[in-house]
Amino acid sequence: MIQAKDLSKTFKDKKRGTVKAVDGISFECKAGEIFGLLGPNGAGKTTTLRMLSTSLKPTSGTAMINGVDVAEEPEKVRGQIGFLSGNTGLYGRLTAREMVTYFGKLYGMSASDIKLRIDKLFSMLDMQEFADGRNEKLSSGMKQKVSIARSVIHDPPIMVFDEPTTGLDVMSSRTIVQFIRKCRDDGKCVIFSTHIMSEATRLCDRIAIIHKGKIFADGAVDEILSRTGVDNLEDAFIKIVGE
Amino acid sequence: MRIRTVETIFKKEMTDTLRDRRTLIFMLAVPIAAIPLLLIVISNLMTGQIEKEMERTSMVLVQGMEFLPDDLRGDLNGAESFTIEPDANSDLNDMIERVKSGEVDALMVVPRSFDKAIALESPTEIEIFYDEAEIRSGFAVDRLDSILASFRKATISARLQQHEISEDVIKPFDITSRNVASMKKVAGETLGAMLPYLIIIMCFMGAMYPAIDLAAGEKERGTLETLLVSPASRGEFVVGKYLVILSTGTVAALLSMVSLTFSLNYMASGIMKFTGEILSIDFDLATVILVFMIVLPLAGIFSAILLSVSIFARSFKEAQSYITALNMFIILPAFVSLLPGVELDYKIALIPVVNVSMIIKEAVSGSVQWNYVIATFVSTNVLAAALLYLAKKWFERESVLFRM
Repeated sequence: MIQAKDLSKTFKDKKRGTVKAVDGISFECKAGEIFGLLGPNGAGKTTTLRMLSTSLKPTSGTAMINGVDVAEEPEKVRGQIGFLSGNTGLYGRLTAREMVTYFGKLYGMSASDIKLRIDKLFSMLDMQEFADGRNEKLSSGMKQKVSIARSVIHDPPIMVFDEPTTGLDVMSSRTIVQFIRKCRDDGKCVIFSTHIMSEATRLCDRIAIIHKGKIFADGAVDEILSRTGVDNLEDAFIKIVGE
Repeated sequence: MRIRTVETIFKKEMTDTLRDRRTLIFMLAVPIAAIPLLLIVISNLMTGQIEKEMERTSMVLVQGMEFLPDDLRGDLNGAESFTIEPDANSDLNDMIERVKSGEVDALMVVPRSFDKAIALESPTEIEIFYDEAEIRSGFAVDRLDSILASFRKATISARLQQHEISEDVIKPFDITSRNVASMKKVAGETLGAMLPYLIIIMCFMGAMYPAIDLAAGEKERGTLETLLVSPASRGEFVVGKYLVILSTGTVAALLSMVSLTFSLNYMASGIMKFTGEILSIDFDLATVILVFMIVLPLAGIFSAILLSVSIFARSFKEAQSYITALNMFIILPAFVSLLPGVELDYKIALIPVVNVSMIIKEAVSGSVQWNYVIATFVSTNVLAAALLYLAKKWFERESVLFRM
């Protein structure tokens, strides 16, 4: 469902000159699978995911999302993707219902479809009690649920999670992890980025180790461990990137 | 661009904005209540102060009291609004110091043998020292003047009579100047000059908070990225947000126009008590419509600039500091309507903000020149459209949206 081919992104930075944030990476991610981009901060994970979700244009290379080229038909791609990141916020002065409805409309859904979908999502996520209070009054766990509902209002076949658990407490991050698993079980193609090795081990069917904009290795977690001959991803990572 | 998507964005942003206390304060509370209240308090303080000074008795120091003719001395001593302190011995400089220090309100110096000079019809002079910076000192001079003037007039009459000359001899002709301006114009030029300045500033302030919240606020909350991955285009977001900012700016401007008219008229009636004239701004629905038509594109210019600045900023605070700096570029040109002698011409009709300021001033004083109204309307609209287009281009730049 996702095919990235030789994807690159360069930025111009006043101090550092031209920076290659992502440098010719290729990978593939299928429906019903969780694919993890694992790497330290500044490795190029976020930039890669932003190119996949069309908020950044690739400098070179292509990515096909469900058969659509991100550079050629970005607006069509956006309708196929659900996006959630750890620092995604909410509109504090709107209620959960208003906010999710807003996004449903942006995704071009009809009012009746939105209503049906909200009923389903809110009862699944156990949100009915706080669905009509202002978001700013919610606890961080509740806020996370609103974000989740927002990201899947249009029932996208592909989910993009950018460091989804960063900065969250245990309960909220548990909610997210369960949700990621559910997406896979529903047959969605899930791609997510993290710098937490244990999280990657726990969740991913396959991972790609990314460092300084390049992919150093990819495959199932077990494969990577056996290839490097160590028993945890952290050691494998150090061995692979050679530092 | 899909109208329905723009409508969705507009409705959401409007709901969000109208629930924001800061926006409501700047859009509704400041124009309707705060500014008028401030003007009324200042005006009451001013008139109260003037009244207080007028009721106060003036302290006047007189050197050479003994040289005044008897009837004039009697008038001065008899006047209730004075306390006269004769001083024959002090040094002149010491006495001037007492005026400077505010111990006395004025000093009157009567030359030696003033009474004899008057009797002999030889020229002479009375000197008055006062402190121009003090209202009470000015009042003391006015009071002295009126007593001296009536004595002078009486002296002239007496002398003419004595020489058997008609009073008409020294009055070859009278000068009468008659004002042909309508009171509406006079009011427009004086009180009305304040109006455009305040309306334009209120318009800017009304647009300011929504602009910060709708762009920099999206970055700060981390909601911008969720919008960017939705199928709505950058242009649709720009237009939807722009229309909300435009609305709040325009509403603030029109509300302030109405409330300021009431409070300026109130202020004027307070001050005019002392001069006897009655000035007030009044305008009809047509004027309000004209002002609306001309303020709308100005609000458009403000909205496009504010939105562009705000989306560039990384946070709410950063946006606020940019906009504070921007404020000066609005306040100074708006101030032009307050300068006397500035007249509209085609050059001024092309200068943003200044042109609108002048048109509002003319509209309020009822002397609208339609050719300049059209020139201003066209130039302001063209600029607003160009800025909106640039804002859209600006919103499409990755380096602006994801500024490091």
